[in-house]
Amino acid sequence: MSALLKVRDLRVRYGRITALYDVDLDVSAGEIVAIIGPNGAGKTSFLSAIAGVVPADGGTIEFRGEDILRLPMEESVRRGIALVPEGRHVLPGLTVMENLRLGATIRTDADAVRSDLERFLDAFPILRERRNEPAGRLSGGEQQMLVIARALMSRPAMLMLDEPSLGLGPRIVEQVYDMIMDARKQGVTILVVEQNARRALAVADRTHVLNGGIIRLSGTADTLAGDPQFEAAYFGLRTAKDGVVP
Amino acid sequence: MIAVLVDAFSVGGLYALTALGIGLIFSVMRLANFAHAEFVTVPAYALFVLSGHPVIMAIASSVLIAVMLALATERIAFRPLRGIDPATMLIASFAVSMFLQRLLVFAFDSRIKPVDPLAVLAGSVRLFGAQINLLKLTTMVTCLVLLVALTVFLKYTRFGLEMRAAAEDFTMSRLLGVRANRVIATAFVLSALLAAVVAVLFSAQTGFVHPRFGLQIVIIAFVATVIGGLGNLVGAAVGGFLVGVVSTLLQSFLPPDLRPFREAFLFFIVILVLLFRPQGLFPARGLKERI
Repeated sequence: MSALLKVRDLRVRYGRITALYDVDLDVSAGEIVAIIGPNGAGKTSFLSAIAGVVPADGGTIEFRGEDILRLPMEESVRRGIALVPEGRHVLPGLTVMENLRLGATIRTDADAVRSDLERFLDAFPILRERRNEPAGRLSGGEQQMLVIARALMSRPAMLMLDEPSLGLGPRIVEQVYDMIMDARKQGVTILVVEQNARRALAVADRTHVLNGGIIRLSGTADTLAGDPQFEAAYFGLRTAKDGVVP
Repeated sequence: MIAVLVDAFSVGGLYALTALGIGLIFSVMRLANFAHAEFVTVPAYALFVLSGHPVIMAIASSVLIAVMLALATERIAFRPLRGIDPATMLIASFAVSMFLQRLLVFAFDSRIKPVDPLAVLAGSVRLFGAQINLLKLTTMVTCLVLLVALTVFLKYTRFGLEMRAAAEDFTMSRLLGVRANRVIATAFVLSALLAAVVAVLFSAQTGFVHPRFGLQIVIIAFVATVIGGLGNLVGAAVGGFLVGVVSTLLQSFLPPDLRPFREAFLFFIVILVLLFRPQGLFPARGLKERI
């Protein structure tokens, strides 16, 4: 399978602090790939660099065979990459409908946009019920649904989600992940970042453990769960083999 | 009494438009644009230069000049600074303002120049048993029409939706595909349109222009945006309107001995408002940190 997203030697720095050290990562079309790791591991920096929110310091990012390393963020969504950032980021003063319509900013097929809108409003009756209310008044879980639906309104090839389960109750987390699996069924490739390792391992085709800006371990849920190094990689414990903790 | 109200509303309307011009740019890029003063002064000078030509042409040209000036300022001075902290951008806008003001002194010297772009409106009409100055009535109506038009634009057009989104969360809007350059350029164009209208109406009332012509109104409008709540357009409009109305009413109803000090009373009220509502009357939501 050829890679949809191909990241090589990606390096991100904030001043003198390096967030990512030469990260390599591939995502194939149709896959669900998860990146797990503790707080401050560089997960958000990784997604931000792909979306163009933070500039990369070195390396290459190819999407569908095109170099997208230096693209401004309003262009990455036009290439088919949608990011649902950490903390949801609804546009709180705009209505639910306006939020959804902004998701389709890049599209010109008005009729299809309308039918996509209807589809999401049908799937989430709570969004239909509150469509003319400011999005800031929705509960955390409803906001998470809204921003995922909004991201999907751009009809992305790849959906990136940063901590979609953060701060949500277990029942809502299930709904959020149902939504993600649905999108995958429609053919959307998923790249998800999670601190909730168990949740991510359960759905991902492949999982990478990121810690201290380095990918420590990669594999499927089964191989990772049985790997004696998993905990060390996740929690950043030094082991005899793993002497490169920066 | 009606005459006084029309007077108050027309002044309030002018301050509201000016405050909105400042607020539009502030809301999308957190730039408190002090050079808005010159967005008002320069088209007023255009009216002076073009006096003698047909009124429509003079007004159209001054609007066009204001828009071009705003776009040039954005491109040359503010775009390279985008994303830098608001204090730096504020200082840069001082620099732009000073530069343009000195340029006007250089080109026209600093003495006042007569303008009368709306001489046709010199008369007055009888309305509800009161003599109403036609120019003031026109000013009031124009301001009202523009406020409605701007509201419709922001609320019901695609550009307007993108601008409101950018005002709430600029980074998130860009991630959704809203083009930063286009939104900011739109804000500058709208701001310049409002400034040019203020230039026409205000210079018609005062009858002259000078290099600090825009500054006198913009300083007050800045106060108005702070009272209304920085970064909130409704607040800016209401703040501008209130400041204009209060200042006109003070002028009419203060004892004659105290009238020269009406600004002291005005700012005393401003201080009172800010003591009790330091965030302004309508605090903005979108001022917190972005992603």
